[in-house]
Amino acid sequence: MGDILGLVGKRLGLGVFILFVISIIIFFMVELLPGDIAQAVLGQGATEENLAALRKQMGLDQPAIMRYLDWLSGAVFLDFGNSIVTGERVTAVIGERFMNTLFLAAYAAVIAVPVAIVLGVIVALLRNSIFDRVANVVTLSFISSPEFFLGYILILFFAVKWQMFPAISSLSEDMTLGELLIRTFLPALTLVLVVMAHMMRMTRAAIINLLASPYIEMARLKGAPPWKVIVKHALPNAWAPIINVVALNLAYLITGVVLVEVVFVYPGIGQALVDAVSKRDFPVVQACCLIFAATFILLNLAADVGAILTNPRLRHPK
Amino acid sequence: MTNKKEVLLEIKDLEIQGYSDETWVDIIKGVDLTLHRGEVLGLIGESGAGKSTIGAAAMGYARDGTRISNGSIEFDGMELTTASESEKRALRGHRIAYVAQSAAASFNPSHKLIDQYSEAPLQYRLKKRTEAQEDAMELYEKLRLPNPQEIGFRYPHQVSGGQLQRAMTAMAMSCKPDLIIFDEPTTALDVTTQIEVLAAIRDIVDEYNTAAIYITHDLAVVAQMADTIKVLLKGEEVEEAPTKEMLDSPKEDYTKSLWAVRSFKRDQKERPKDGTPLISVRNVDASYTGGDKVLDDVSFDVYEGMTVAVVGESGSGKSTTARVITGLLPPSKGEVLFKGEPFPPDYRNRTKDQLRQCQMIYQMADTALNPKVKIAEIIGRPAQFYSGLSGAALKNRVDELLDLIELEPSKYYNRYPPELSGGQKQRIGIARALAAEPTFIVCDEVTSALDQLVAEGILKLLDRLQKELNLAYMFITHDLATVRSIADEVVVMQHGKVVEQGPKTKMFTPPHHPYTDLLLSSVPEMDPEWLTTLLEERGVDNVGDAATAQIDPNDPKISG
Amino acid sequence: MSWFVIIYYTLLLGTSCLAAFFNKRQIFLVAFGLTLVSFILGIIGGPAALKAVAICAALLGLAAMVSYAFREFLIQIASDEMGKELRTAPMTAAFGMFVMFTYAVMGVFAPWIAPHGEAEVIASAFAPPDQNMLLGADQLGRDMFSRIIYGARNSVGLALAATIAAFVLGALAGLLAATKGGWFDQFMGRVADVIMSIPSLIFALLMLSIFGPHIHVIIIAVAVIYAPRVFRLTRAVAGNVVVMDYIEAAKLRGEGTWYLIRREILPNSTAPLVAEFGLEFCFVFLLVAGLSFLGLGIQPPTADWGSMVRENATLISFGDITPLIPAAAIALLTVGVNFVVDWMLHRSSGLKE
Repeated sequence: MGDILGLVGKRLGLGVFILFVISIIIFFMVELLPGDIAQAVLGQGATEENLAALRKQMGLDQPAIMRYLDWLSGAVFLDFGNSIVTGERVTAVIGERFMNTLFLAAYAAVIAVPVAIVLGVIVALLRNSIFDRVANVVTLSFISSPEFFLGYILILFFAVKWQMFPAISSLSEDMTLGELLIRTFLPALTLVLVVMAHMMRMTRAAIINLLASPYIEMARLKGAPPWKVIVKHALPNAWAPIINVVALNLAYLITGVVLVEVVFVYPGIGQALVDAVSKRDFPVVQACCLIFAATFILLNLAADVGAILTNPRLRHPK
Repeated sequence: MTNKKEVLLEIKDLEIQGYSDETWVDIIKGVDLTLHRGEVLGLIGESGAGKSTIGAAAMGYARDGTRISNGSIEFDGMELTTASESEKRALRGHRIAYVAQSAAASFNPSHKLIDQYSEAPLQYRLKKRTEAQEDAMELYEKLRLPNPQEIGFRYPHQVSGGQLQRAMTAMAMSCKPDLIIFDEPTTALDVTTQIEVLAAIRDIVDEYNTAAIYITHDLAVVAQMADTIKVLLKGEEVEEAPTKEMLDSPKEDYTKSLWAVRSFKRDQKERPKDGTPLISVRNVDASYTGGDKVLDDVSFDVYEGMTVAVVGESGSGKSTTARVITGLLPPSKGEVLFKGEPFPPDYRNRTKDQLRQCQMIYQMADTALNPKVKIAEIIGRPAQFYSGLSGAALKNRVDELLDLIELEPSKYYNRYPPELSGGQKQRIGIARALAAEPTFIVCDEVTSALDQLVAEGILKLLDRLQKELNLAYMFITHDLATVRSIADEVVVMQHGKVVEQGPKTKMFTPPHHPYTDLLLSSVPEMDPEWLTTLLEERGVDNVGDAATAQIDPNDPKISG
Repeated sequence: MSWFVIIYYTLLLGTSCLAAFFNKRQIFLVAFGLTLVSFILGIIGGPAALKAVAICAALLGLAAMVSYAFREFLIQIASDEMGKELRTAPMTAAFGMFVMFTYAVMGVFAPWIAPHGEAEVIASAFAPPDQNMLLGADQLGRDMFSRIIYGARNSVGLALAATIAAFVLGALAGLLAATKGGWFDQFMGRVADVIMSIPSLIFALLMLSIFGPHIHVIIIAVAVIYAPRVFRLTRAVAGNVVVMDYIEAAKLRGEGTWYLIRREILPNSTAPLVAEFGLEFCFVFLLVAGLSFLGLGIQPPTADWGSMVRENATLISFGDITPLIPAAAIALLTVGVNFVVDWMLHRSSGLKE
């Protein structure tokens, strides 16, 4: 067991290190701005006094390294400073929106993950059949479509033509869960379609790869019936690839969510990020980037740790 | 041998097709096969001959991308080509079992050995779990596995290769089948390990009077195992006869060429008196980054115009020694001298002339020649690189080299390696080494991937070149027949150490170092009685891993 | 029961029966499956749903015919060896090639094909289609059709430039890392790890927010984001080649790194690298489309598919599909390229077995 703990510890350490490097990149990239943040915020026409005042207010008179440490120590406790456009605390701006985004992603994941894995396994078992070929073309088409294309098509049919679901997902405090699920159905469905396509393909590839192993052939030649080959021989070895597929696609959800939120005017963190980018509200941009990157790293970490924990070679060392 | 017995398996006019490039092509073209109860049939042929495909077909099984297109397979009165999937499945593991080439890959990494053993008996409701486990232990003991009570409760990756192969044989025996298909069960093993697996398989097959199809490309191995031998070539049968008859008087030319005992032999040369050796390896220690020592105080000399054979099993460090000499792996201690001058340890620090002196010929000609480069450039590049030849001079040089390796220049000049046969490719590899005009060539298992007859041609060519160009060879090999034919001196290695070295004649006459002795005796010979005699002489507990473990590497008989 | 419905079912059932009679299992399954689905669809959606199915089937048939003809055309004009390769292309890949070909023609000859200039205002905002304007006008009264044609040049051109930048950067680093090995390899691997730990769209937004939405910024941003992916693949492909004995032989001969890469490694890695280029192009194209949809891509008045969708999105709430056409154009090209890549990957993996 010591081996496994060591490996997991190592992987965790690497994750923390990468997150640290990314925080450096995110912070110091802003330093690359022509001029500085104050200049960028106030524009060319700003007077010297205004600039100086803003610089002082933002602490720009301090050296960059000090400001970085300051920012990082704040970020650890989820304090990302104040927005330079509205002056509000960044945490107040994005806190609730982050929860909304998580809700949307979870909504999509709960539908997509089980369906995609089951379908992926079925397609893998029926490989080279007409069903497999059709599934291949369909999933490829969904992967190739931009999220906003799928989103607008869904709006066109479900919201405009058939009027089954609302096109715009405005949320309010006093909604029941059922209402919430209906309101956010279209954005969730868009995400489901894209992520499911990705996941099905990856699951199929992983399973086919597994079924080509000599020990699967051995199991067949030992006379094991097909269900037993899958359940007893393939599945115990399939966890690592499946965990990997799930984690990768949840990570993909994070990116996909930005565009979908914009299409459906959903009050999530992606929408906030896009707004902040166009207003050049750097503290908000940095905070959003760090949150997205941290989630992304966390999911990749989970996949790797899962793969380590389910590897029989590591679970039963020599 | 028991002749007039009940027919167990009868294959008639079998044709199997494989799917490639969007079409079905024939890979088995009408093969017949008859197997009686308790009989062992050896299927032999090169890779691509279709032996393995026939083996699977005997279980009514067609691998992915293949299909049985014609013929009949009758197992104990049941026609497998028309049987339903569940009928065929009921035979597999129960009445016909399979032993795969790579045991390490064919055991499921997630289950214990004994659970995989008892899977079939439980499924066919032949035994209860505890009974099956007791059975397994008994079989493990018969197969001479260490700790038979305990070994089954390990996972596959916790057991060594030779043991896994025996555990797989035990698994095949779990339902006491009528027929076992052995698909190259010892190919991936070392000679000293192979011998105990062979002995174990033979005992168990004899004891339960099981019929078997033994698939291999190694003639000497099949001679020990089979009652009858069938030779295959490109999906067609060449001939079939009882083992003894087949070995003594093969009829077809192809079979004769396979059987051809190495006839080539040349006289042993003596070291020049008081000359400096061309290459001198002095007290070399080496290890790969972060690993254990793979070479431990290795020293030997190679004189001009002479051949030194380095012999040992995989992991003995013979290839690593070559890497140290060529400079790919700088030693951690010791040095390599060239004509008495130290060679820079890293090839990157060697001068063009130093690099030129020492060339290499590889085992796998497939990976040694860039498939996307024309022959003319493969051979021409060293001449261009070292001697600065170009234009007509370069072309002349390439023609000359092709002549030297006995290939028609105009025919091969513009071709690519994948268009050539194995022997031709190996010749191109030799030409590339010669193009640098070296004095020393490392030959890394150059003949082991080739058929007997082709290999013989290569050896003759190397010998002729040595005489004409006064080359020195370091011949890495595990094949003692090759050593006998071409070596002047022999170096035996084990676990990174030189255990014995000296002139060839001395090495092949007793007394030997115990390891040399074990190695010499473990190499199968074409005589069908070889294994029996050997086991009688040495005793079953004195072969294979057990014997290796008994050897003290610091035996005083190590000569220097 | 309208005549349409009767003919519809007659055709489907006729095909099923014929397929069953001639033992064409797959055709039968498709035709009869469609019949069963049509019963349900017909009950729910009436003849309109069946018409939609018929139109889809007709479109698919048309696409199949075009693909078949285009493949035959390519086989005719290609050399013998290429023709042999092309013969193995499935319909989907042929369709992909046809799409790529069409887009290339559209992009290159945009000024001659488009009836109006891309920034030319010729009508009132959202003017409906007429003889002059095939697809009507956009929110500023510019010809939608012309802008879509020009979009092929601008959007695809930008994505192609960015992909090439990413590819050159990543492939070069990957080849060097594989050949040199050692600390350089390790270091590049870690750098790639870090960059790939930031979601691509997020990283692009960060860079664009700092440096502003200019074309060269987009190209550099995409190159930085996607180079690590190309690096990883190239490193893996070249890694398989580097262990070959012929590379060792060349190294021992004293050949330089550049010779090794150019003469020994590259010729043996082209097939997977070409497929990877196609795959990367799809990713980049979708990313760039996403960015321009967010208003951070090519800036107006230059025609660009992503931003055209956003600008005209209001039309969708009136049930007008025009704004979806540029989005469909993006999807179609990506699908096409993916089909071709799928075929190439299938081939190169098939050769390995």
